[in-house]
Formats: sequence, structure tokens, C-alpha cells
Amino acid sequence: MTAEHEYPIVVEGLTKVFKPTRRSKLPEKVAVNDVSFHVRKGEIFGLLGPNGAGKTTTIKMLSTLLIPTSGSAKIFGMDTSGGDEKRIREMINLVSGGERGLYYRLTGRQNLRFFSNLYNIDGNKQDALIEKLLEIVKLTDAADIKVEDYSRGMKQRMHIARALVNDPQILFLDEPTIGLDPEIARDVRSLVRQLADSGTTIMLTTHYMYEAEELCDRIMIISDGRNVGYGTVAELKQMVSDTNIIEIVTSDDPHDTVSKLLTERRFVHINTERIAGRYCTRVQLKDDTDVLSEFDSLFSGYGIRKIGYDEPTLEDIYLSLVGSDEH
Amino acid sequence: MNIKAVTSSFRQQGIQFLADPQWIIPSIIAPFMFTVVALYMYSGGGELDSPIVLTAVLGGGVLGMWGNMLFASGFTITYDRYNGTIEPIMMTPTHLIDVITGRSIWNALIGLLNAILVFIFAELIFGVGVSVSEPLFFFPMLALTLFSLASIGLMLSALFVLTRASFVVMTILEFPIYVFSGALFPISVLGKLEPISYILAPSWGVDAMKTAAVAGHESITAFGIYFDVAVMILLMVIYIAAAYILFGVIERNIRNSGTLVRY
Ligand SMILES: Nc1ncnc2c1ncn2[C@@H]1O[C@H](COP(=O)(O)OP(=O)(O)OP(=O)(O)O)[C@@H](O)[C@H]1O
Ligand SMILES: [Mg+2]
Repeated sequence: MTAEHEYPIVVEGLTKVFKPTRRSKLPEKVAVNDVSFHVRKGEIFGLLGPNGAGKTTTIKMLSTLLIPTSGSAKIFGMDTSGGDEKRIREMINLVSGGERGLYYRLTGRQNLRFFSNLYNIDGNKQDALIEKLLEIVKLTDAADIKVEDYSRGMKQRMHIARALVNDPQILFLDEPTIGLDPEIARDVRSLVRQLADSGTTIMLTTHYMYEAEELCDRIMIISDGRNVGYGTVAELKQMVSDTNIIEIVTSDDPHDTVSKLLTERRFVHINTERIAGRYCTRVQLKDDTDVLSEFDSLFSGYGIRKIGYDEPTLEDIYLSLVGSDEH
Repeated sequence: MNIKAVTSSFRQQGIQFLADPQWIIPSIIAPFMFTVVALYMYSGGGELDSPIVLTAVLGGGVLGMWGNMLFASGFTITYDRYNGTIEPIMMTPTHLIDVITGRSIWNALIGLLNAILVFIFAELIFGVGVSVSEPLFFFPMLALTLFSLASIGLMLSALFVLTRASFVVMTILEFPIYVFSGALFPISVLGKLEPISYILAPSWGVDAMKTAAVAGHESITAFGIYFDVAVMILLMVIYIAAAYILFGVIERNIRNSGTLVRY
């Protein structure tokens, strides 16, 4: 196997600077700053980061929609802005989350036919292809309904079908499950898994940590355009192995104590979530000092149901990597 | 060029056009109103004699074709930008210009229909149908004029991709074409501005049509209809070449600034 087939995506020193436009008078914006990574064939690679981190910009540079300011993005060894765009475009596709990106006045089938033609797919192969795609995304029954009458979930599945018309070897997914109900989101995830199992290389962005943890073989976390963490979930967890995580489940809202703790500088992050009528507070310490008894008394007034150290989740890692960059 | 993309875009434009009844306004009502107004203006309340009627009716036809071209080519790309479909198109190996070409041809066809409707209105309502002295020339000329409008439309739609003010541009461009194409009055009236007419292919088409329709009409040049046709085809080639270059430049610009999705 040659290098470009083992690593269909190779990114080196990728940088995108948006120049201020005459009209907007915005300052120059470094959206992606010297990012390097590679993606293996058949891998699901996750790109995580807060809003405005540069995820979409990165994906657009990889999918030939944007030209990098410096550095390079190579798809199967071809530069995404080096004159081979047409060949690259034949092999890749992109799904963006959200409502936009389909012709509302056309039916699902007409949308798929239009895009099959843009990929110059043989006329006599189109019917079978479209039928197959509709089946994959479970839209066979809705094929002849106009997209304007589709639900959000149906539109999102139609997006995926659209992105599969050229049987892409690399599929970019920019927040593919945004705004979907849990069941449809799960369907989408299992479809992504299936595609990867059949050899499609996948790069996805998401704001849902459990989704990234469930799907991704490797992850890159970016913040403010820069790489702040890169590796397998296990490797990323290694990065925070020298810190303790305490989880306290209480019956009452420990708001007062949490806000007091927030003023101290001993923690990477603290957050409380309400789960099934209980309050679950997670605290990540900056080191591995033992604070169990201290917290036991701090939270005793709220009716502790459970307290103890916990393994770091991807969310803990994310918050510590992205958070430490902010402060 | 991806022929399948062109024909598919043609069909898609047709389906979308027919799905949206508001097109009736620029396509049918506007040229009709224009013809009525022009007929009254030219007749001055008096007799509707042949050359004048022809100018009005041709004017109405050209208005229908041109208005349709402008609105349709400006609107379809704007629609793609609002709709978020321009990126999925750019993602494909097909050049955006192929898609726009297919749509422009549909728009041109609708334009042709507009022109025919104007002739029918003129006949039905005023009983002043155009009697064409040389139909063998007139109708091919009508079609050629139409495609010359389509090729200007193609070039302009390249600019529409870049501008966020498509509708303003459309409105600004609509009127000058009526004036400079010679559809409303002879371009010799324009004086120093006359050369502008010569770079608009439709001027030559209108000239050729008048020459074909009215016995005794004097062509812009002494060379007559064949010269008109030659110039028109040459201009069309130039427009289309310019459109190709513009689309290339625009794709580069968009890929640098990312302004494609900001509107
Ligand atoms: N075309 C553009 N011109 C100028 N600035 C831009 C442009 N596109 C994006 N940006 C800026 O670049 C930065 C990165 O944006 P990007 O869309 O890549 O973030 P993101 O990680 O995808 O965020 P989100 O999670 O909100 O989708 C942001 O600050 C954004 O405002
Ligand atoms: Mg984004």
C-alpha cells in the first residue's frame, strides 16, 4: 500500500487567514493556525472544538471549498488547491448539518438525480443507485415528496444520501447530527459506522462528546484555530491522567458551594448537571491530591447520594484542553 | 463540459419554474403591460401603422426576453446561496457554469415564449399582428437574438454570484438594455452613446429582425442581415468566453475569501 492510500488525508501546517473585506471592516481572522494531522483509510476521525474554533474552515479546506493561506492539505496525495480539484471532488463528499443544502421545490428523488448528473453518473445506472441510496437512508417511501415537506431528520438523511451519490472514498461530516432527535441521531451514527467499516474514510465534527467517544478512532481537539490535543481517546485521557476527577451526586442543588469553589483556582473545571431529578457535579482537579473527605463535608448539606473518584470522560478532557487554552 | 449537468439543470430549472406561480409576473404580465403602453405611446392615439407597431411589439418581446433572463439568472444563483446548495454544487467535479448554462437555456426558452405571447397579445387585442415579410429569416433571428441574450445573462450571472445586491444590479441593468438594444427606438437617436449598442449582441438581432420583418427597413450597416448575424455570433462567443473566465476568477475569489455562504 502506498503512503497516500494508507493515509488518504495528510495535513501539514494548515493555516487559513480570512482577510478583512472592504465592506465588513472586520479585523484579519486566523481561523486555522498551523494544524497538522493525518487520517488513515477507513478511520473515523473526529474534529472537536468550541464554536468558532475553525472546524468548518478546516473541513472546507480539505474538501476544496477553500484555499489554504499556507500549509497543505493532501487528499490521496493531491493538493486540494493544486489543480487536481476535479479529481479530488470525484472521490470525496461533504455533509453539513442543518436544514440548508437541498432543493426544496424538488422531490427527494429529483434532488438525487440532479446531483447524480453533476457527478456525471451513467444515465442507466442512476435509477438503481438512487433506489439503493433511498433505502440506505430509509427514505424510499418519501422519495416522491417535495423536500419542503420533509421533517428535519428526513432532510438530514437526504443530505447523507446526496453525499453518497458518487460513492465517495472520503466523507466529511460537519455536525451531521445537529438538531436530530436521539433515535435518528443514533441511526445516523450507525450509518457512519457502517460506511467506515466498508472502507470509507470519515472525518467528522461534532459538539456531542459521547458521539465522538462512541464513533471516533482518533480525535483532534482544536481551539482558536490551534491543535490542543490529538490522538486516540485513550491517548487523550493519558494527557489528564495526573489529575483527579470527583463526581458528587446530591438531592439538592449545590449551587452555592459550586460557585464558591469556582472562585478558587484549584480546578480545571466544575459543572453541575441535573440528571433524573438529582444533581450531578463533576470536578476536575489540577493535580491528584486527595480531596474526597473535604468534598464529602462541603456537599454534605445537599444530601449526598454518591461521591467518589471517576475515570475521565472525553468531555472532561475536552473541557480541560479547551478551557486551559482560554485562561 | 458535463452535458448531463447542463440538461439536468435545464430540467431542474423547469420544474422549479413551474412550481412557482409568481413567475407569471415577469414572464407574462410585464411584457404585456409594456406592449400596451408602447402601442399607445407610438400610435399617439392615432393610426397604428406597421413600422411603429413593429417597434413596439418587438420592444415588448425583447423586454420579456431580457427581463426574464435578468431575473432568472440573478435569482437562481441568489436562491442557491440562500438555500445553501451552492456549496454542494461546488463540491462536485462539474463546473458551476455548466449548471448555469442549463438554467440559462431554460430561461431563454421562457423568454422566447414571452416574445411569442407579446405577438399574440398584439394580434388578439389590437389586431396588429406583425406581418413578417421574410419569416425564413425572422424566426431564426428571434431565436438567435434570444440566445445572445442568454449568453449575456450567463456572463451577468457570474457577477451575480459575487454580489450580495443581485436584485439591485438586476434592476439597474434592466432598463439600459431596452434602450441600447434598439428595441424601443432606433439606436441612431442615441448619438454619442451609439457605440454601446454595438457591443450588445441583441442590437444586431433586433436590427436583423426589423430588416427581415419590414420591407424597406434600413439595416445598421450596409451589409445587411448576414453581417448582423455574423457580428451577433462573434459577440456571443466573446460573452461566453468572458463568462468562462469570470466564473474561473470568481471560483478562485470565493475559495480564498469564503464569501460564498455569506450573504
Ligand atoms: N468567510 C469568512 N470570512 C471571515 N471570517 C470567517 C469566515 N468563515 C469563518 N470565519 C471565522 O473563522 C473562525 C472559524 O470559523 P469556523 O466556522 O471554522 O468555526 P467552527 O469551528 O466550525 O465553529 P462552529 O462550531 O460554530 O461551527 C470564526 O471566528 C469565524 O467567524
Ligand atoms: Mg462549523
